[in-house]
Amino acid sequence: MKRLAGKKDEDIAEPLAKKRLQAKANSLLNAKNVDIKTLEGFVKLLKDSPDNGVPAGEVMNVLEVIFKNLLKRITREGDEKQALKIHKLYEETWLLLRENLLVDSEGAVALKVCMQLIKVEAKHPIAPRKGWPTHRIREILDTLLNSEETPTNALANYGKYCKNLDVLEITLKQILELVPKDDFKDIPVKAMNFLSIVNLLDFGKTVLSTADYHVESAKSHAFNLEQNQKRLNNLWLAIMTKGSEVEEKLHRQILVVLLERVINHLNDPIQLTDFLMDSLHQFDGPIALLALQGIFTLMQKQNITYPDVYEKLYNMFYPRMFFNKYKARLFYLADIFLTSTHLPENLVAAFVKRLARLALQSPTEDAVIMIRFVCNLLLRHTGLQKLIRASHAIDEVSDPYNDSETDPVKSEAINSSLWEITLLQKHVVPEVANAARFINSSLPIMEFDLGPLLDRKECNIFDDELQSKAKQFALNYERPANLALPKNEFVTKYWEFI
Amino acid sequence: MVAKGKKASADAVYAKKTVKSSNPFDNSAAQTSKRGQNQNPFDVHVNKEKFKILGRICKHDRGMPGVSRAKALQKRAQTLGQQFAVKHKTNRFKDNRIGKHLSGDQLTESVMNARYLAEKMSQVRSNQKAEKFNLNDDELLTHRGQTLEEIEQYRDERSDDEELDDEALDADFTSAAHFGGDGDTPQDRQSAIDEMIVEQKRRKNEIAKEKDEVYDLTEKLDANYKLLLPLVAKATKDEQDAKPPPDAYDKLLKEMIFEPRGSVTDKLINPEELAKQEAARLEKLENERLRRMRADGEEDEQASISQPKHRSADDLDDGYFMAGGDDLEDDTLAYDLEGNLGTHLNGKKNAQAEENENEEKDDEEGEEEDEEDSDEESDSDVDNLSDLKESESESEAEDTPQVSKKKAKKSTEKFPVSLDTSIPFTIKMPKTYEDFTEFLSKHAAPQKATIIERIIKCNHPKLEGVNRENVVKLYSFLLQYIKDLFEDASEQDIREHFQLLSKFMPHLYELTQLNPERMSNTLLEVIKEKYGEFRKNHKMYPSLDTLVYFKLVANLYSTSDFRHPVVTPCFIFMQHILSRSRVRTRQEISMGLFLVTVVLEFVSQSKRLLPAVFNFLQGILHMSIPKRDVEQLEITPPFERDGPFSKVLALPGNKECTKMEPQQLQAADLVTQTITPDFKVRALDTTLQLIKEALQLVEEHVGACYLAKPFLRLLARLPLESYPDHVHLHHKEATELAEKLAEQKMKPLAPAERKPKALRLLEPRFEAVYDDKRRPKMSKAKEERAKLLHKIKREKKGAIREIRRDTAFVQELKLKHTLQSDKERHEKVKRIYQEASMQQGRAQ
Repeated sequence: MKRLAGKKDEDIAEPLAKKRLQAKANSLLNAKNVDIKTLEGFVKLLKDSPDNGVPAGEVMNVLEVIFKNLLKRITREGDEKQALKIHKLYEETWLLLRENLLVDSEGAVALKVCMQLIKVEAKHPIAPRKGWPTHRIREILDTLLNSEETPTNALANYGKYCKNLDVLEITLKQILELVPKDDFKDIPVKAMNFLSIVNLLDFGKTVLSTADYHVESAKSHAFNLEQNQKRLNNLWLAIMTKGSEVEEKLHRQILVVLLERVINHLNDPIQLTDFLMDSLHQFDGPIALLALQGIFTLMQKQNITYPDVYEKLYNMFYPRMFFNKYKARLFYLADIFLTSTHLPENLVAAFVKRLARLALQSPTEDAVIMIRFVCNLLLRHTGLQKLIRASHAIDEVSDPYNDSETDPVKSEAINSSLWEITLLQKHVVPEVANAARFINSSLPIMEFDLGPLLDRKECNIFDDELQSKAKQFALNYERPANLALPKNEFVTKYWEFI
Repeated sequence: MVAKGKKASADAVYAKKTVKSSNPFDNSAAQTSKRGQNQNPFDVHVNKEKFKILGRICKHDRGMPGVSRAKALQKRAQTLGQQFAVKHKTNRFKDNRIGKHLSGDQLTESVMNARYLAEKMSQVRSNQKAEKFNLNDDELLTHRGQTLEEIEQYRDERSDDEELDDEALDADFTSAAHFGGDGDTPQDRQSAIDEMIVEQKRRKNEIAKEKDEVYDLTEKLDANYKLLLPLVAKATKDEQDAKPPPDAYDKLLKEMIFEPRGSVTDKLINPEELAKQEAARLEKLENERLRRMRADGEEDEQASISQPKHRSADDLDDGYFMAGGDDLEDDTLAYDLEGNLGTHLNGKKNAQAEENENEEKDDEEGEEEDEEDSDEESDSDVDNLSDLKESESESEAEDTPQVSKKKAKKSTEKFPVSLDTSIPFTIKMPKTYEDFTEFLSKHAAPQKATIIERIIKCNHPKLEGVNRENVVKLYSFLLQYIKDLFEDASEQDIREHFQLLSKFMPHLYELTQLNPERMSNTLLEVIKEKYGEFRKNHKMYPSLDTLVYFKLVANLYSTSDFRHPVVTPCFIFMQHILSRSRVRTRQEISMGLFLVTVVLEFVSQSKRLLPAVFNFLQGILHMSIPKRDVEQLEITPPFERDGPFSKVLALPGNKECTKMEPQQLQAADLVTQTITPDFKVRALDTTLQLIKEALQLVEEHVGACYLAKPFLRLLARLPLESYPDHVHLHHKEATELAEKLAEQKMKPLAPAERKPKALRLLEPRFEAVYDDKRRPKMSKAKEERAKLLHKIKREKKGAIREIRRDTAFVQELKLKHTLQSDKERHEKVKRIYQEASMQQGRAQ
């Protein structure tokens, strides 16, 4: 109760403090001559903000307003002495803001203030410099790069600003200069930060077509895609030189950066083949998967051939993969790889069997995806329908499919039958059971769209189940006299509770 | 010869046929013959048919013109003739009574009644309106001007033959007075009359006096008789006792006297019927459950896939209930028809018998027992608990706890019930949860269940509408209470808490039955909340209370449904826990195993499968296998492939554990973290048994081999040397079953053989039959109209004919009249002539 009251006090105190700050700032700005001391007071307030109880976010917001106005005024009025003092304080504020960038809770506000100030500064540049305050961006990047932990919050926010073409270009320029001197394996945290920043550089079509600019004046200086692509190539080269023999997590990040941001803009992607092949063969799990995706892109664009790709893909389907981070990507890739109708039937049959087998071990949401996927494959490859439509004469057999065989072609899957799906019809979750019933009637005409299924989580299924309006609460008709059920009791059979 | 023989036999057949046709039941022939006898052959006129036309029914083949003419004449005489007779008469008598044409014996009782009723109705109609709705028949029946009631009132029961002698003058007097008498003459008429009057008065007085005396005497006698009555009765009773014992004849006679003469329409339900009804109800519920268990449409598919099973018309699905029926007879607890709680009939009997025993033993329970009949139910509760307790103590001595439990059930040893009489009989519903817990905390554990029971009784929705909210509140309180019990349960008190939960279980069940929807929604909200907490960090097992809620769901709901608003979310929740949460400590292992048992309980009837259960059991097996550091045995998360946690359950190589007794998992396992060797043995043993159970459940499904195969690999790796014998046994059983299933042979999937599609049949096209009547083609309405016109024409013809005949009849009557009057006149004229001629003759 006491704590609650205290909290209330805080709640009241916060807007009060805010109001007081704003009033003070207003008076400062309204005065003709800037009271340097008050300004110093503000800066000091920010300096020891976490200790003095004034929320740093508010102070930063107020400072933003103050400096926005002051910067405008200085350029207009030009009182040298005062301007110098203000500039000094301004620099100090920047340092503090950079510090705050790394604080998890304040990162967003700090970044916002920084970017706003950059905007103003671009309009009213401080004496020696002109135009875009690129050094500010460099400062920000420097801070982010050298942080002890990956500042996810600030990074995510910075990503939004990177949608602006000017920021994007400048960031790319700056980051090129900021490439760490050491190899990545020696400085894993910094490398991670570096890669995360690179991962923000999005040259995608949507960004280019929207063509937003952070600073209005930068519009005249048009964004040159080719030049920037060149820069990106250089950046990638730098990464490649530094990023050898790194640990798994970094390797994964490098691959993500490559796949998401870089690969489409490389001059000569063929050079990647070795890197990707190495990744594919040396690792398994997510890295192999990402590498496979890279190879897939190469196959599509550069027309390379990679004979074992299906075998690799086939072997990526194993029970552990449901607990991978990138399983949705795997399903997506597999769907694309198996799109072709010219694949040999025994190969696809092996995939079908493997998927069905895995559905028996997988969590609910994956089971649904895999059942749908199997159905799609049967639709694409009509020859495979003999897996569910055997001729009647055949006798009872045990399953000829060999699931430990790594070569899909040799797994004898084509001679098997999809008993797994029949078993899945007995799944307790009605959604899975219903999905598995597709083999009983004639197959659907259209393929299922796997897209929406890939994003589903276990909790979505739970929620869906709650939403379904089958509100008939059927009760057990036998009255339990104690903890045990009247019949089919398991719990008290194996537990000694009483 | 042969041909002849054939003919002879054919003849015989024919003969038989003819015989057959003249059987006594074929009375059509008899009827015709009867009619023929009645008819006078000279009356019959036969209309000859020139051609016999098939399909035409001829009604006019024979007629009786004479008879029908006579009938028509008679009818006319009765109607037209009557009218003619009273023509031009002003003083006619009009009979408007019902059945005025009837006469003599035709006037039956019903006609009379109808007349009486009509009379009444006319009376009622003429009466005032106020009496219109008077239901009481206030028409007073009178007798000699007195109402019958009055007569009854003043009626003297005594015989009144004395009064018969009326007050008329006696014979002597009259003979003397009226007829002058004989010798002795009276002095004077006046004095004689006076004398007579005096005499009369005296006589009257005497009679009155006598009457009074008699009345007094009878009164006295009556009073005395009433006093005497008991004595008389006693005497007769003694006499009866003294009667010789009834012999067979007497018995038979009595039986015949008291034999029921007709069946009562709404008779009392006897025990067998009650049992039968109960069985029927259970069967209905079971069928409903089975229907819910199947997915929509699954049934049809199965029906089409499998060959239609042969079922004879007499097959009544007896198979299932033969199996279930036996234990129904034994000890099923169930609701009776009105939804009142109560044991199954036989169980009731037992309970009552026990109750009687108990009453004899100690009278302490007396108060409790006469409270409500359902107390016997709680009594049986207590009994069950005692059984369990006993089994616990005995379990060490016996091989399998199952057997011991059964034995214990049979034993009638009594649980020392020390029910406190201080619990009030009526308990108000506590307003807040704090009040509730406070109230419960005042009492010891065994009494808490009683308290709950009494709260339910006092707040039963049948008693009052407000209670509907109260019971819902009570339910949510109980859920909260369970949460509090288990959330922070410690090693010491967990067992106690489970005992308490066990006692609450029937009451929770009752509460749910009261309002399934509200209660279920309450429980569902709780589960939703728990899931919300769990989803934030699905690496951690939820608290114990969540697991207890699952068990609650298993006990309360029909878990075999294909889709159930409460059960299905629970399934998803449990699957999520089993497949994601980290398993490292003793608590986590036992929680997982607890979930597995609960899931098996859920699917025990529907035989569905939850993959996470199989994965989890594999994981536990995997943990029990000691592995060298380098080697990896494939296993799915949340279990770890390598590292220290991949073998936490593995026993060290020494043989210290081989002597352990079989043991169930303990409640304390759910709250303890450290893993002890005995827990390792216990967990593995239970896992092996659960593997067997789980595989048994899916045994019949196609593809069960896929579930069994992964176990084989792990079971083979298990180092059995360091485990006790019972583990060996269970390992063997599980392995055997898994091997059996793994070798399952399956028929390749094939679509069901569909029936060949029948060729489309064309509807035969009927053409209108051509008959040679040339009618103009008309629309339907016109045709109808033409038909009607034709009918009218015919009717008109008939009517004209009738009128003509009527006229003829009237003319004939008139003629008769004229002839008759002419004849009379002639006779008169003749007579006059005669007389005149006679006069003339005399005069001459």
